[in-house]
Amino acid sequence: MTILYALTGAGIIGCAIFMILSRNLVRMLLGLSLLATGTNLLLFLAGRIGSEQPPIIRDGAKALGVSADPVAQALILTAIVIGFALTVMLGVLVLRAWRSGGTVDAREVDAAEMVGPAQERDDLHG
Amino acid sequence: MFVILLISLIGACVMPLAARVIGRGAGLVIALLPIGLLAAFVSMAPVVERGWVLGEGRNWAPRIGLDLTLRLDGFSFLFCLLVTGICALVVIYAGGYLTGKPRQERTRFFTLILLFQTAMLGTVLAESLLVMLLFWEATSILSFLLVGFDSRSARARRAALMALQVTAFGGLMLLAAVLMIGHVLGSYSMAEAVRQAETIAASPLGTPIVACILIAAFTKSAQFPFHFWLPNAMQAPTPASAYLHSATMVKLGIYLLARFEPVFAATGWGRGVVVTVACLTMLVAALQALRAENFKSALAYSTIASLGILTLLVGLDGPAATVAMVGFLLAHALYKAALFFCAGVVLHATGQQNLRALGGLARVLPFTALACVGASLSMAGIPPFIGFISKEFLFEAQIESSWETAPLAIAVIVNAAMVGVAGVVTLRPFFLGGAKHRELRNGESLSLVAPPLLLAVAGLLISLDPDWITRVALRPAVAAVYGRAVDVDIAVWHGLTPMLMLSAVVIGIGALIVRYWRQIHIRLRGAERFDRLALEKLWERSLRGLMHGSRALTGWVQHGDLRRYLLVVVGGMAALIAWSVIAAGAVPRLPDAGTLRLAPALVALVGLGGAVAATRAQSLFTAMIATGLTGFSIALTFMLNGAPDLALTQFAVEALLVVLLTALLMAVPLASPATRTPAMRRSDAVVAGVMALMLVAGIVDMAAGPQGSAASAFYSEMSYLGGKGHNVVNVILVDFRAFDTLGETMVIAMAAVLARSLLMRRGRAAQEAAQPSVHFSFQAFGRVLSWTLLAASLVILWRGHDQPGGGFVGGLVAALSFALLSLAYGVERAERTLRAGPLTLVGIGMACTLASGLPGLIAGRPYLTHLWWEPVWFPKLGTTMIFDLGVYLVVLGAVLAFLFGLQREATK
Repeated sequence: MTILYALTGAGIIGCAIFMILSRNLVRMLLGLSLLATGTNLLLFLAGRIGSEQPPIIRDGAKALGVSADPVAQALILTAIVIGFALTVMLGVLVLRAWRSGGTVDAREVDAAEMVGPAQERDDLHG
Repeated sequence: MFVILLISLIGACVMPLAARVIGRGAGLVIALLPIGLLAAFVSMAPVVERGWVLGEGRNWAPRIGLDLTLRLDGFSFLFCLLVTGICALVVIYAGGYLTGKPRQERTRFFTLILLFQTAMLGTVLAESLLVMLLFWEATSILSFLLVGFDSRSARARRAALMALQVTAFGGLMLLAAVLMIGHVLGSYSMAEAVRQAETIAASPLGTPIVACILIAAFTKSAQFPFHFWLPNAMQAPTPASAYLHSATMVKLGIYLLARFEPVFAATGWGRGVVVTVACLTMLVAALQALRAENFKSALAYSTIASLGILTLLVGLDGPAATVAMVGFLLAHALYKAALFFCAGVVLHATGQQNLRALGGLARVLPFTALACVGASLSMAGIPPFIGFISKEFLFEAQIESSWETAPLAIAVIVNAAMVGVAGVVTLRPFFLGGAKHRELRNGESLSLVAPPLLLAVAGLLISLDPDWITRVALRPAVAAVYGRAVDVDIAVWHGLTPMLMLSAVVIGIGALIVRYWRQIHIRLRGAERFDRLALEKLWERSLRGLMHGSRALTGWVQHGDLRRYLLVVVGGMAALIAWSVIAAGAVPRLPDAGTLRLAPALVALVGLGGAVAATRAQSLFTAMIATGLTGFSIALTFMLNGAPDLALTQFAVEALLVVLLTALLMAVPLASPATRTPAMRRSDAVVAGVMALMLVAGIVDMAAGPQGSAASAFYSEMSYLGGKGHNVVNVILVDFRAFDTLGETMVIAMAAVLARSLLMRRGRAAQEAAQPSVHFSFQAFGRVLSWTLLAASLVILWRGHDQPGGGFVGGLVAALSFALLSLAYGVERAERTLRAGPLTLVGIGMACTLASGLPGLIAGRPYLTHLWWEPVWFPKLGTTMIFDLGVYLVVLGAVLAFLFGLQREATK
């Protein structure tokens, strides 16, 4: 089962990377969302699978019995929310890019590159 | 000595203001500062005379071994006398020289000169190598500012940059050497470095240390192949040239070499390199001095030759070499500064620099001519001037040293050339060629002629009555450099010695050079080879190459294509993992196979299928649905493996993502033209595939490792006892790792603020969004469902501590209820229902979260330690609930900020 999940998680991440490498900003955005999902699954595997018992202490008991790993779950829980916020934030940026530049192609969103070293600055000694 | 340095520094900032008020006599007033400093040093003479060393120290930054330590010994003392004495003359001279400049410029010049004096004093007084380095760099920078003083002239700017580049490069080398010495010895003391010269030379860093020191000295003292900056530096105003580029700063390299002589002498090759470089420098400089067309460059090249002689003397062994070095240092400073002053007067008077165009000036500039004769006689080494004595010592040192005759022969030739140059620069402008200049732009004035005359007279007086200077400066200096006292006998007449014979030969050849200067000069000028082989050109070409190279490199690395950047990152990561796995020779371990459960396996495969479908979808909408499919199957997977909290969260997130991304997709074009060629897609697929493979190998190997962590065990144990909660995941989030959660909540809050500012509606009175046309049954159900969801979210929040749920999930579910409302009735309605703005919710939530930690703090426990109240008749209450409520509100507010913003923007 672990190997199957490992293959699934890694496969999802592979697909995500493939999508991120696209130059369409929306596709990149979806890729990032997939990347978060795949990573969460792999993180879940780091806590090991096996027990189907949720990490909830039974009534009357003082400590947790056999159950899934609570630490990994706590990490993933915040990771899901942060990943969600990141994806949506990117969505907002893509929308702004579309509204201001009329493009969702990464090659055409190059305003920052233009800020780089100006040509005339290099010619001081020329 | 600290006091002296401080006075010098403050004076340099304050005194030049006099030039703003006083017109002509400003130089005389300002010169009081260096004269006062000179007097202060002279008053210390009795200490130095006895061979004592005066030391002072302060703690500065002890942890890095940086102490502010100064020391005054004979060698430093000689430098201090020269620096302050010549500074006084330079300031007086500059008062007369800069008459044509506006007051502001004059003030700037005086400030720079006096600051330079401070830097020089600091360099030669510093005992700690780090302090010395600091002042050393200051001299480089001030030299840059003085060379480029006439900042409107392109040539001056170029020369200033060149001087800075070369000397700062040397400064870097010195920094490297100092750091390496500190590493080897564990101390930055110069005395320590000299004492342990053998240790340094024998250490593995010995060779680089010596090489760096030599390069630093050669750049500063304009030795071959770094000599080219000095003639260019003559763009500086003449007083600055006289001070920096002949009398003091360029001698710092000699100072450094002399101080570190034991270190480089301890290596097998150090002396050889120094002597060779010195000989090359002398030859090149002597030739160029004869080629030089104008007054100042002839003097500049002769200065380089003199520096070569000094370097040679440092490189030679034996006490006589040290005596000769110290003597020549003094003699050269005196006569060369005087000659520069004379050149300045000529330039000032005629505006003409070319030696061939000048002539017959003795009639109009009589005092200058007189000073020039005196200085030139000293330079040519004619008795009874001090130059003669130092030349005698030079030959004596060479005869006594263990070297072959080659350096001696070169020294004879170079000295002859020096005689030639001295003769030419005196005779041609002043005495030969008839009266070419009837009209003078500026005549002589007291402040212009007094300094060179004083120096020329000093050159004569010292040699006739050498007692005081020998006792006070020369003998202690020699002792300080050589390491023990040496008998210094300065006299004009030593009897008929081999040295006298050599002097006669030198003067004879020199006289011939003066006689045939015109022919030699024209022949040499005709030889284009010198211009083509000039190192200056090479330096400029390499600088230009550096510019072009870095521009090309920037274009190549910083191409602006996001895809290639990411490809490098991902590919690099995969390669790194692969390399580390292969280098370790590790074969991934396999975990226990376990039993394959059919339903979970199918769910996982559906998730994988969704991801694959997303990559292949043509339409962005399809891709989004496929991505959502993956998300839901992973949520199911969490559910099936004992993680209901995660499943709930993931479900809520996926549902919200669909709503939010749909709003986005409504705005942008759905059909995306291909942005990658098939070949690119293939290479991307390969990179992604390799990365996935690496991950599989890593995860499988990890899963085979030992299970369970100490942290998990601790939390399982303590969750109820310490946190009063049954749901361990929630207790970890709100209690054990509350600080982490606080930070994450803050991130979400910031994202909300950012989104709000990006999606701010311009013009609030924009069109009222029309009600969406949806089926009435959806509206009817939507309303009920939305209120149900909101109620459910509160239940989820409340029970989170003991059952699956909590602030994060609760907030997401509540956001979902509003999303439903806005889908059914439009954004306006949803916003009205909320009553408060989303960011208000975020703010209240953040305040709750932050405040929930305070009760614990008041109770004397660490911040965010939660307190509980457990009455029998009521469910337990704790501050964690305030914390979780805060998280709930922040998440709700943030998601709504995104939701409303995106939906509004999309329907525009």
